[in-house]
Amino acid sequence: MVGFVILAILAMAGAVGVIVARQPVHSALFLIGNIIALAVLYLTLSAEFLAAAQVIVYAGAIMVLFLFVVTLLTAGKDEREAAETLPGQRLIAGGASGLVGLALVVLAILNPGPAISLGLPKNFGTLRGMGAALWGPDFVYLVAVAIMLLTAAIGVLVLNRPERRAVRGARKASARQTRSREGQA
Amino acid sequence: MNPLLWPEYSVLLGVLACLAAVMALGTKRSAEYPVSIVALVASAVFTVHGWSGHQSPVALYGQTVIIDNFSVAVDGLVILAAAASILLGWNERRSGTDFPALVLLAALGMMVLGAANSFLVLFLGIELLSLPLYILAASPGTSASGEAGLKYLLLGAFSSGILLFGLALLYGGSGTMIFTAIGPAHTIAPLVAAGSALTLVGLIFKLGVVPFHMWVPDVYEGSSMPVAHFMAFGTKVGAAAILMRFLFFGFYLSPGVWGPLIGYLGVLTMIVGNLMALPQNDLKRLLAYSGIGNAGYLLIGLASHNVTGAEAMLFYLLPYGFAVMGAFAVVTMVAGERSSISVKDLAGLSSRSPALSAFFVVAMLSLAGIPLTGGFVGKFYLLQAALFANQPGLAVGLVLATLVGMGAYLRPLLASFGHPAQSLEPIVWPWGGALVLAVATLGTIGLGVYPAPIVQIVSHSANFFWLH
Repeated sequence: MVGFVILAILAMAGAVGVIVARQPVHSALFLIGNIIALAVLYLTLSAEFLAAAQVIVYAGAIMVLFLFVVTLLTAGKDEREAAETLPGQRLIAGGASGLVGLALVVLAILNPGPAISLGLPKNFGTLRGMGAALWGPDFVYLVAVAIMLLTAAIGVLVLNRPERRAVRGARKASARQTRSREGQA
Repeated sequence: MNPLLWPEYSVLLGVLACLAAVMALGTKRSAEYPVSIVALVASAVFTVHGWSGHQSPVALYGQTVIIDNFSVAVDGLVILAAAASILLGWNERRSGTDFPALVLLAALGMMVLGAANSFLVLFLGIELLSLPLYILAASPGTSASGEAGLKYLLLGAFSSGILLFGLALLYGGSGTMIFTAIGPAHTIAPLVAAGSALTLVGLIFKLGVVPFHMWVPDVYEGSSMPVAHFMAFGTKVGAAAILMRFLFFGFYLSPGVWGPLIGYLGVLTMIVGNLMALPQNDLKRLLAYSGIGNAGYLLIGLASHNVTGAEAMLFYLLPYGFAVMGAFAVVTMVAGERSSISVKDLAGLSSRSPALSAFFVVAMLSLAGIPLTGGFVGKFYLLQAALFANQPGLAVGLVLATLVGMGAYLRPLLASFGHPAQSLEPIVWPWGGALVLAVATLGTIGLGVYPAPIVQIVSHSANFFWLH
């Protein structure tokens, strides 16, 4: 229980840090803290494979991608935020969602469900158990996720459709002009 | 390979065939449109075969998927919506080569929702439906497409998060993933109530119900016409189907918990949607608010919680879909090369093209709910369900909202009989749009004059025996 409370506080502090931090890089670092706290939480729930995957995939691969994009996109941008159109909406929304979250937590503590008292299935959380579930009874879900990934791949192609040749030519020409102008200056 | 799932398989094979066609033939010769239509026709054939083939529900994959008359009827509606969208966007250079494949993928998600009987399948179906629609909304075509795509993606991801949280609470509170296995003792547990409330928020976001309707007009405005049509018809079918499955399969014993909530939201949605449709000038926004209002009508079927309500809800999807098909086909033809048109652009339509104007009148009168159109029969059915359920509030709301909606739908009609502001070019009739328009008009009038066959199909599909 003590371990859970510590991990929960760490995870929540990380989550709050992600949205409060001014610098995107700081947000990404807070997210790493959140992810690692969650991974340890999975370990305490004896879901070893999920914990390892969480660290390797999220804290490893995806975070590198985040940092890469952050450094590419926000280098040298000013950090001022746009003015809010509805003053105070963040405070009100944050307070309201905090209250709802608190109500849900109280509800969950007062009324533990029946699933919590059930025992764990065989090989729970290990690679063998995951594989047996994914390639056995849950194979159809794996197929559905595969279709989703296919959709995402199509989406990447659609939204990054190469510009028409004429447009690209014009842009190259204008870039050349600016470069020559800079050279003259 | 289960023979009952061939409608879904043929759509999936159609997606792969579309992608292969684009890959093999390049973007010059567009074979993907005919391929996608062939896949949909095959799916329709299997659906009709499935309708006649089995009468008792069949549970697959450990009861997580149920193929019954309801899922087959939903398949039919989804195929109609997808085919109409692809025909409306036939060989449209603005839609691009990926449009048919993405429409088929979203249709697959809607079909999955119609057969779902588990939280996992529910979530996968919602995501399978949403991902292609995010891409379609964001794909270039209109000036506001980027804004529409981003808005839809962010709000959709947010609603998916709420949905997932609700599903987790439901699983924690009931200990099962299967709708039909949620016991009577669980449905009154507070944790399950909280979970189902969050899940309902996620689902009615997709349906576009007030107060989760903000995205609808902006996303429709930023999408191209066929995509907006698909969202207006197909997404409503998918969301309505999963709401019926979720509430009538999982929570049929506790209508006292969710019934009033759905009823109040329904009345609020139909009044707000139709009121907001009144001042709209952009026709896509007008149809978007009309879609919000119609989502409110659909909720009556849920809130009345009886067999007539379930039948009326399923029935109403068809006349609504026909009217949306007709309206979007006319708007697409009038718009021509433009990506959106306003009410003023309709001026003089009656002298420009009397036939098109006549079709537009039929579609609009059906949306308004005038007798001898399908819309009237659908609204009548819903009114009957509300009165059978002894809920006069729902009936009064329906009538008031229909009155307000009348004003909204008559404005474009008045404009189309007015004098044109400038000299007008003749309207081009693409064959795909003409076909959609013909089917929509025939269906609208057919449903209004002789609804008996469809009523019979619906009464076999939405016949959830525990509602009797």
